[in-house]
Amino acid sequence: MGRSSLLSEKPAAHIDAGSDAGLVTAAQRGDGSAFGRLYDRFAPMVHGIMLSRVSAADADDLVHDVFLTALRQLRSLRNASAFGGWLAQIARNRARDYYRRGPQKDEVQLPDALPGAGAESASAEAEAHAALRIIQELPEAYRETLLLRLVEGMTGPEIASRTGLASGSVRVNLHRGMKLLHERLSQKERP
Amino acid sequence: MSDDYLWDRSGKPEPDVEHLEQLLGRFRHRRPAPEFAEVVPESSGARRRRVLRLFLPWPRLIFATAAVAAVAAGVWYVARMGHGRAQPEQGWAVTNLEGAPRIGKEAIAQSGRIAVGESLVTDQSSRARIQVSNIGEVVIEPNSRVRLLETGTNKEGLALDRGGLHARINALPWQFYVDTPSATAVDLGCEYSLTVDDAGAGLLRVTFGWVQFYAGDRQALIPAGAAARTRPGLGPGTPYFEDVSPEFRSALDELDFGHSGPEARAAALNLVLSQARKKDVLSLFPLLIHVPKSERGRVYERLAKLVAPPRGVTKGGILRRDSRQINLWWDQWGLEHPKK
Repeated sequence: MGRSSLLSEKPAAHIDAGSDAGLVTAAQRGDGSAFGRLYDRFAPMVHGIMLSRVSAADADDLVHDVFLTALRQLRSLRNASAFGGWLAQIARNRARDYYRRGPQKDEVQLPDALPGAGAESASAEAEAHAALRIIQELPEAYRETLLLRLVEGMTGPEIASRTGLASGSVRVNLHRGMKLLHERLSQKERP
Repeated sequence: MSDDYLWDRSGKPEPDVEHLEQLLGRFRHRRPAPEFAEVVPESSGARRRRVLRLFLPWPRLIFATAAVAAVAAGVWYVARMGHGRAQPEQGWAVTNLEGAPRIGKEAIAQSGRIAVGESLVTDQSSRARIQVSNIGEVVIEPNSRVRLLETGTNKEGLALDRGGLHARINALPWQFYVDTPSATAVDLGCEYSLTVDDAGAGLLRVTFGWVQFYAGDRQALIPAGAAARTRPGLGPGTPYFEDVSPEFRSALDELDFGHSGPEARAAALNLVLSQARKKDVLSLFPLLIHVPKSERGRVYERLAKLVAPPRGVTKGGILRRDSRQINLWWDQWGLEHPKK
């Protein structure tokens, strides 16, 4: 393919059907299964963003809401390769609206302090909720990145690629966020 | 450094990070993909229904707005009837104002026509004017790309992908619209400028009449002398009169699009409420709808000092976002205000 072809709009046949952009383009043309594959790839990112802002009990339902919104608005997305950043912004917006609209489900009651080491196996659930709450109280940029890394299991490069954020920013947020998290966890463990 | 494991799981695992991964992994997303319906390309009929749906939340406001615009536009429209109609099915006439604008790949020498589905592109030294059937004209500024979405007897639609345009429309309300990547501008009988940057963010500035700016369930009604920004994934922000202070404008940005945390948000709300003049109820009414309940009471108090709530409007009703009461109060301010 010549240089001029690459600079012009790609015909459908030249779009990599397996790439994110290819799936977005296919979904925009009415391919529901392509959107399902996008869900598989991006749902963890949306879930992590939600979990940084809402209770774990509500995050799953809101993930579904975000994808329905994205499905409705997909044809307005002009740049298929910007899908991840666009979807992340829909998720943040949905989380913000969530607090503006009506009462929410009751939060799970969490312990104020982390349990001692001797009770670890019996209270892992409570410890997990306590750690989650501490992360949710960190500054927004840190908690989102940390939850994508620690809960969803995404690596730093994957977080940058999916959310559209710069790698450098993600790396800084991960390191600073982890440092702050260590400090907060240490404070909680003190008697 | 031992940070590599945190960054990309390379190197020796850090015990603390590993422990947190195991601990928090229970919250990981595991729900399988639901069945998604086919993404059906939006028809013009669907678009019309979508536009009409917008007007349900604030029916009195919208229909009152439409009535005002319809009276003015109707007089003009009837007067135009004797002048015959263009043939909308053949697209719109385009005039080269400057440089070398293109329709598709073809440069326009002096004039041309753009058909549905075609794009008009200007470079940094080009401008073009589009004749929108017989209802008005749109000037396309340099470095812009627009596409003709539909044209017909009841609906004329354009997409502004990037760049800027200036529209002057004399038609019945809701006949002309412009799609942008983050919001749609619907003409209510007006003149306005619209810009979109490469990221899809936009700014709409109205110089005559009213424009409805919406995305999803967010909408802004913008009168002459006012403007509103829009952001991808968020839609239009709070409209504001253009003679507000830069600080007021920045504070609205923080309230609409900011992620700076609760302190910055509280400072922004304080500034907006303290600087709001009587005519800035244009901004306060949308805030009343969009701010969280914890902030709504303060917006109510300020708004009540600027425009006394009429009989039947209570603080409790407003805090509940009772649409009937909000509309009643908005009517009290009056749509004629921008003409004063």
